[in-house]
Amino acid sequence: MADKEMTTTAKGLVVRNLNKSFGNVHVVKDLNLDVAPGEFLVLLGPSGCGKTTALRMIAGLEQSDSGSIILGDADVTMTPPKYRDVAMVFQSYALYPHKTVRENIGFPLKMQGVKKDAMEKAVQDAASQVHMETLLERYPRQLSGGQRQRVALARAIIRRPAVFLMDEPLSNLDARLRSFMRAELKHMQHELGVTTLYVTHDQIEAMTLAHRVAIINEGVLQQLGTPHEVYNNPENLFVASFMGSPPMNFIEGQTKGTRFQAPGVDLPITGANDNTNTTLGFRPEDAIVVAKGKGLFDAEVYAAEMTGDQTLVTIRVKTATLVIKMPKDFETNIGKTIGVSFESGQGYFFNTDDGERLRTCAIAAKTSPKKTKRKAKP
Amino acid sequence: MSNIAKPSLYARLFQPLVLGKIPPGKLFLVYLALILWSLFVLFPIYWIVITSVKEAVDVNTGPFYLPWVDFQPSLHAWKDLFVYDYEDTLFAYLNSVIIAVFSTLLCVLIGSMAAYALARIEYKPKFGSIMIFVISMGVAMYVVGAFGVDWRLAMAVALAIFVILVRALSSHFKRHLGNGDILFWMISQRILAPIVVVVPIYMMFQKLHLLDTHLALIITYCVVNLPIVVWLMYDFFVSIPRDLEESAQLDGATKFRTFWEIVLPMSKPGLAATTLLVMILAWNEYLFAVFISTSKAQTMPILVAAMNAGERGILWWSMSVVIVVMIIPVVAMAIVLQRYISKGILLGAVKG
Repeated sequence: MADKEMTTTAKGLVVRNLNKSFGNVHVVKDLNLDVAPGEFLVLLGPSGCGKTTALRMIAGLEQSDSGSIILGDADVTMTPPKYRDVAMVFQSYALYPHKTVRENIGFPLKMQGVKKDAMEKAVQDAASQVHMETLLERYPRQLSGGQRQRVALARAIIRRPAVFLMDEPLSNLDARLRSFMRAELKHMQHELGVTTLYVTHDQIEAMTLAHRVAIINEGVLQQLGTPHEVYNNPENLFVASFMGSPPMNFIEGQTKGTRFQAPGVDLPITGANDNTNTTLGFRPEDAIVVAKGKGLFDAEVYAAEMTGDQTLVTIRVKTATLVIKMPKDFETNIGKTIGVSFESGQGYFFNTDDGERLRTCAIAAKTSPKKTKRKAKP
Repeated sequence: MSNIAKPSLYARLFQPLVLGKIPPGKLFLVYLALILWSLFVLFPIYWIVITSVKEAVDVNTGPFYLPWVDFQPSLHAWKDLFVYDYEDTLFAYLNSVIIAVFSTLLCVLIGSMAAYALARIEYKPKFGSIMIFVISMGVAMYVVGAFGVDWRLAMAVALAIFVILVRALSSHFKRHLGNGDILFWMISQRILAPIVVVVPIYMMFQKLHLLDTHLALIITYCVVNLPIVVWLMYDFFVSIPRDLEESAQLDGATKFRTFWEIVLPMSKPGLAATTLLVMILAWNEYLFAVFISTSKAQTMPILVAAMNAGERGILWWSMSVVIVVMIIPVVAMAIVLQRYISKGILLGAVKG
């Protein structure tokens, strides 16, 4: 996972039972993380879920109520930020407005008392890493958003810290620049091999950048795994619903004996337990539209939207509204009754009450939908 | 163009006009208004300047407006003050400079540090602890007044009792004040009319044998102006994004270096404006000066006032000379500091 070529200072980061409350609000609850040296770990969650607070505790800007933070071999829970050997890129960039780009980038070295010529060389190096070497005399107010972002990055990398902390660094950029900077960031992290902890609420950023993703909701770690794992093997309803665009489809129903029943849906299942409230989930891209009566259940077409590379078919099963991704040449009529089919392994069952995945539960292999998916035309 | 909505009445009345976009007719009116207002503002200064070069007869039989036309200017008042009485004048001038400069420096230094602390550190003084302090001090004062106990002893005992009680009891107190309360308490000190405290302050300095010294006036002006500095600088520090300081901290700066390298340079406009304001207040102050200084620490405002107390009646010309020389350093200061008092210094710090 970690690229070791250039890794000289990269350290592992371990977070144990970290807690933080602001007044009566318990923002971070028993957070545990193990970040390998050189790993790119993304903390992903909706706004207000405590991910930024967790990052700030690791940076030392916020004191934890309990728990410990271990960087390399050292317990830094009580260490002031300046001794932690971490660099942070803020959402707002936090450039010093009265200093030039050169002075901004060189500031961490200046604080370390590095000599003038050594500093100048390091500034040149860091600036060329982010392609800013020609703008060193400018002030932050004379730079565009993307350039400010680069300066902030250069200021973070110049010190070769043990850990990079990034707090939604791309969220103030426009969409084009964001995807470009995403690639730059990924490349740079690979080159430098520095352990990186990255906070975002954008799942695309998380999926594309991360070696592993930690999904957090209401201060609780929901799942920690590779992008592939959290996408294809969600632990619970929250992870399943948070990852993916459009999100996973859900049908709320009950398990009764060997059947899953919901309004308009009645499926044979295996591994059913005595749980009554169950939610069936499946991804829009896993399902296909088939002829009426040929699929797992029937539904009515509510709308079909051609988005360019695909057609999003919105369907209704009694009360539930679902979305299915079909090929771009798929055509149908609103109001038409169709069948919905997907492979039994692509249906996920969750306990509706606590959101936990029911791993033993699966659709009985009655259906084996022809995986001729992208040709299907009812 | 017809579909552009007409600006609302509010906009037409109150939004500032941009000079480049004003039609010529209106522009003429705008400039006329500006020129009239400038005349209105500048005339008193002009009047003071020409009065300083008038003879008594020109003042008393006037008004005369134009030198060399209406009257013949003469430097007799300037000569009086700077040749014959130059010792008194320079003495008062020097006093004023020393007192204004040192009280301003002290006040801005203490005040901005207090403001920074209030802007960045959350204080929770317990209500009960404050009550204990007030009560123990009250008791000490009573004991001094009623039984003639030595005040140093009484204060020491009161402080000791206060510390012991607070250490023992403070954890039981629930209600506390916040930074906002402290800030309001500070500004409330300025709401009080100064005349109310003149006599107590006089007696205090009398006890300390500091009457008619520079130090007494420096301390007084510093204390009187402190609320203004705290209030103005607090607003300024609060507006500096916290991210910048946190970033500096992570970049390895100590608290002091963060303040010195990041916060202070960004606060230049605020510091300049505050310094200027406080300096002018100290420079022009009369009430405390007239009570606390009698001869050795006499300041310029006292000298001005002295010009109408002589047996020769009011010496308008001499008074004008003193006022002119009083205005000069303030104008010079304003010109020097003006370049810091410009907007946009925070631009580019965050987002954009």
